[in-house]
Amino acid sequence: MYHLLKGFHEYVTRKEEFSVIIIGLDGAGKTTLLERIKTLYNDTPGLSPDKIGPTVGQNTGKIALPSTILQFFDLGGQRGIRNIWPKYYDDCHAVVYVIDAEDRERLGEGWEVFDTVLSAPQILGLPLLLLANKQDSSNSLSVEEIRNDYEDWYQRKIESARRDRQDDGDAARRERIASLDVMGVSAIEGTGVRSAIDWLFLRVQNSRRDHSS
Amino acid sequence: MGLSVSSLFGSLTSLLRWSKDQDVRILMLGLDSAGKTTILYRLQIGEVVSTIPTIGFNVETVQYKNIKFQVWDLGGQSSIRPYWRCYFPNTSAIIYVIDASDHARLTTSRTELLTMLSEDELKGVPLLVFANKQDVDGAAKPEDVSDQLGLAGAEKSRPWSVRGSCATKGEGLEEGLDWLVNAIQNK
Repeated sequence: MYHLLKGFHEYVTRKEEFSVIIIGLDGAGKTTLLERIKTLYNDTPGLSPDKIGPTVGQNTGKIALPSTILQFFDLGGQRGIRNIWPKYYDDCHAVVYVIDAEDRERLGEGWEVFDTVLSAPQILGLPLLLLANKQDSSNSLSVEEIRNDYEDWYQRKIESARRDRQDDGDAARRERIASLDVMGVSAIEGTGVRSAIDWLFLRVQNSRRDHSS
Repeated sequence: MGLSVSSLFGSLTSLLRWSKDQDVRILMLGLDSAGKTTILYRLQIGEVVSTIPTIGFNVETVQYKNIKFQVWDLGGQSSIRPYWRCYFPNTSAIIYVIDASDHARLTTSRTELLTMLSEDELKGVPLLVFANKQDVDGAAKPEDVSDQLGLAGAEKSRPWSVRGSCATKGEGLEEGLDWLVNAIQNK
């Protein structure tokens, strides 16, 4: 009996574990997203959105998918604590950047921060998903608008860099931006969250294969 | 077949975990005069009691949203800190209280915390830090406390959160506990 259980225990625990970090500006909805993921995939429901305050620290969540475990780290996004993100870059397998699609005023700041994330060498080869959150609001920019807004922002940035005679020849980064995946979600209502998880599930598997070959 | 037995196994273990949840032990630790006892009684009876430095411990059962916590408030003076470890086994969560207005002893507080977290018995246990005494002028904000504690990146196996609180006014305590309950249940 013991060996039977042990065998099954090993069968259960054989799953490969991948870490995913969830980052973005404060108020983007990172913790709400994580709690929604927990509610959708686990037996114990996550914290309800009205109980969620600004995160100072790290929230974790684990979900089990076929042959894979995704371990999430939701990191605080306030200005003073964003410097903790890079400490997670070395050990993570995927990055989720959440943007508040409703808050037009702070989009620029969001891209500014996103740009520093993209320029981190440790995560250059990792799957990166940009989530346009708060799609439940009618004021929110759509996925397409978010992508365009980012591309416009990036173009402006390159142009001003050229004027300052700075060379922006980072081809890897430009390629990454061209192939950037953007998805819309509503963390509060849960729409789009499953597709985002499916995306992560597929991409961490593939990127692992790239590493091993 | 393999799948059904494994799911049975999964539900069995979750059943085991559930029965353990009935008795949730939370340790409340921190340096002396951080406000641990005040927080404990604020949580239990909702009032501010006048406290004296704790020698030994206070243990109270706190009922919070269907969950009964056994909260152990251990004395924080340097001479009795070595005894904290006697209470580490079977701990579900740690509440660490810091006097945010006491800048001089933040380093000491940090050292005690990190020593404690390195214990095997507390591996993966959720940690809630209260940056207490936010009503005092010049008290360090939760972000600053978090920065000085340096938990980021070093404590990946456990959920942790730093929150501002004011025990005498009862501010921040419930929010902190909500977070902690969620962290314990989702472990």
